[in-house]
Amino acid sequence: MTATTPHASAATGTAARSPAPVPAGGSDPVPELVRRLDELAVAGGPFSAEALGALDAREGFPAEACRALDEFGLPRYYVPVEHGGALDDFSTVMRLLRAVSRVDLTVAAAHGKTYLGAVSTWIAGAPDRATWLGRRIAEGAVVSCALTERHHGSDLLAGEVTAREADGGAGWRVTGEKWLINNITRADLVTVLARTDPAGGPRGFSLFLVDKSRLTSEQLNPLPKVPTYGIRGADISGMEFHDVRVPSDALIGEAGRGVEIILKALHLTRTGCVAMSLGAGDHALSLAARFTTTATTDDGTSISELPHVRRELGAAMAGLLLAEATGLVAVRAVHALTAEMSVVSAVAKAYVPAQVDDLVARLLHSLGPYGLLDADGHGRFAKLERDHRIIGIFDGSSLVNRNALIDQFARLSRGYRTGRQDEEGLDEATDLGARLRPFDPRALSLLSGTGASVVAGLPAAVDRVHDLAVTEAASDRLATLAERLRRATDRLHEEMAAVRFPPRAVPGHAFELAERYELCFAAAAALHLWLRRRDGLDEAWLRGCLVTALTELGEPVGETEREDLDILADALLSARPGTVPSLLDSLEGTVR
Amino acid sequence: MPESDVEIHSAQSLVRWLTECVAMHLARPADTIDASVPLSDYGLDSVYALSVIAELEDHLDVSLDPAIMWDNPTIDALSKALAEELALNG
Ligand SMILES: Cc1cc2nc3c(=O)[nH]c(=O)nc-3n(C[C@H](O)[C@H](O)[C@H](O)COP(=O)(O)OP(=O)(O)OC[C@H]3O[C@@H](n4cnc5c(N)ncnc54)[C@H](O)[C@@H]3O)c2cc1C
Repeated sequence: MTATTPHASAATGTAARSPAPVPAGGSDPVPELVRRLDELAVAGGPFSAEALGALDAREGFPAEACRALDEFGLPRYYVPVEHGGALDDFSTVMRLLRAVSRVDLTVAAAHGKTYLGAVSTWIAGAPDRATWLGRRIAEGAVVSCALTERHHGSDLLAGEVTAREADGGAGWRVTGEKWLINNITRADLVTVLARTDPAGGPRGFSLFLVDKSRLTSEQLNPLPKVPTYGIRGADISGMEFHDVRVPSDALIGEAGRGVEIILKALHLTRTGCVAMSLGAGDHALSLAARFTTTATTDDGTSISELPHVRRELGAAMAGLLLAEATGLVAVRAVHALTAEMSVVSAVAKAYVPAQVDDLVARLLHSLGPYGLLDADGHGRFAKLERDHRIIGIFDGSSLVNRNALIDQFARLSRGYRTGRQDEEGLDEATDLGARLRPFDPRALSLLSGTGASVVAGLPAAVDRVHDLAVTEAASDRLATLAERLRRATDRLHEEMAAVRFPPRAVPGHAFELAERYELCFAAAAALHLWLRRRDGLDEAWLRGCLVTALTELGEPVGETEREDLDILADALLSARPGTVPSLLDSLEGTVR
Repeated sequence: MPESDVEIHSAQSLVRWLTECVAMHLARPADTIDASVPLSDYGLDSVYALSVIAELEDHLDVSLDPAIMWDNPTIDALSKALAEELALNG
């Protein structure tokens, strides 16, 4: 693969310490975007609930909101600095897209898609093509990514869209239909996966960056918008390619490398999708907090004072914090544990959207009719519930990602048993104050060689908690919870090691093990983050996370331990209206 | 993972090890696996096939690019490529 090599060498020294994670590129754009979104959310603005709700109702595309994001300069953060953009830290893009998703998922999916469309070129394209694409994106070009076909979704090797070398080697001819693709009708450019060897196979496909503006309407036939359950305003459609001639330089990387490139690109985009789920989770919790503090029972008690409602809110808060811990560590791992992304991205994409779907469903339960009716003004809760469903389906469903984990069970269980891990990378990925090394796409690998350092590093992290408990820098309660997590993780890895199956016959119970693996990863991520925290981050949030993870792992958890969830509920209910506590609070200075 | 006492770095011994490994994954006798037939014919055509490389890496304690499996789709071709790779690294 002719991967571009933007950085001559990945930083290998100990992660440089800085007091706060100010992006290397200069000032942090996130608070500025949050401020801008607030301004645009006033009545009549393109980000107002009223405007977005009305568009959703008539399945209208949120063009004005997308334009406002263009004006803000968001597309620059989809383009790596070496190709002329502002992207030098993937956690910044994640926080930016999370901020947009907190307001509206349709807009986030429509705008953020350009990043998904471009990433194959960033990791495998020729440097001059990447620079050209970076310029186009800065000028406002929309880029889409077309993998799926009408009869082939998850199974990339089944694709029928074909590209043949044109006579005399003057480019390629693309024929066939891509369908159920975000933005393909609106897009200026489309990354297309096409079969280049009639026999197919993992070396039988190639990726092309197709410039639609160069093509005529006889060559391209856009298919009608597909009505969808959520993100109703988005351009979900398809495209027929009729013997479309594309120039030689449209090929991304080498011919035959399409599947390898896209699998590696998915390591980044699956991780990026987490931003949308976290934003939706923030939104759901802030709506729930507002409702429960304003609504009252018949005798005038605020609903938020009802013990079972508080408990539900606390559990949802803990769920979001676990999801956030996973997302933060995963996105930092893009830089710090790049070679492990086959595991990390699968965990992130399987776990975070599913976790947020769950917490939304739980909250809907406690909100009762309010959540589904227009009682919240513009049906925001119901909209986000519908909108969020897609996150667990596109870019590899939760099941597909669990399958990817199961394929790596043998390696993961061996690595856990021997404690194999990249200590330096783990330290950098889980210390929010550490400067991230530049991302090196050459380090991406189809299979993680080390396994997963986040999980393999759990036993040592638990030992550390025991040490802290001796000096009372950690509570005995935390030490007990951490110890139980370690034992559950030990047992899980023994079960994972015992899973054996012939190809394409993954046993059902392996998916349950994969779910438990995700929980162990999430809890381990939270523990590592807490151990490397810079400020007096309260221990209670970590205990709440561990209580939730242990409960979901099926471990018995007592009532006293569950009381930590009430502390999280109090944190949520006492937060500034419209805001939700986050592990990033102390870093962003705002809890929006 | 099949255990093997033989010195594994020759193409021939790699063929033996890989055949056993693949046979175990497919739950069928090793003598029914033809080393000159593409592994995809046995259903080993996806990322799943890469786990064979993972086992080999752990067994030999070396680091390989898993895609070597895709560039060398039969046990014979793979063994030859691996033997060359190991000789270079070794
Ligand atoms: C709103 C929307 C936007 C989309 N945007 C894009 C886009 O921009 N680009 C693009 O290329 N595609 C896009 N898609 C397509 C999407 O990626 C596919 O729908 C998805 O990959 C699933 O494919 P499928 O529908 O054919 O289901 P199938 O692949 O047929 O899967 C059916 C079911 O089987 C499960 N399954 C499949 N394989 C496995 C496995 N190995 N192990 C366990 N379970 C498995 C799936 O999770 C699913 O539940 C979009 C889809 C939607 C709905």
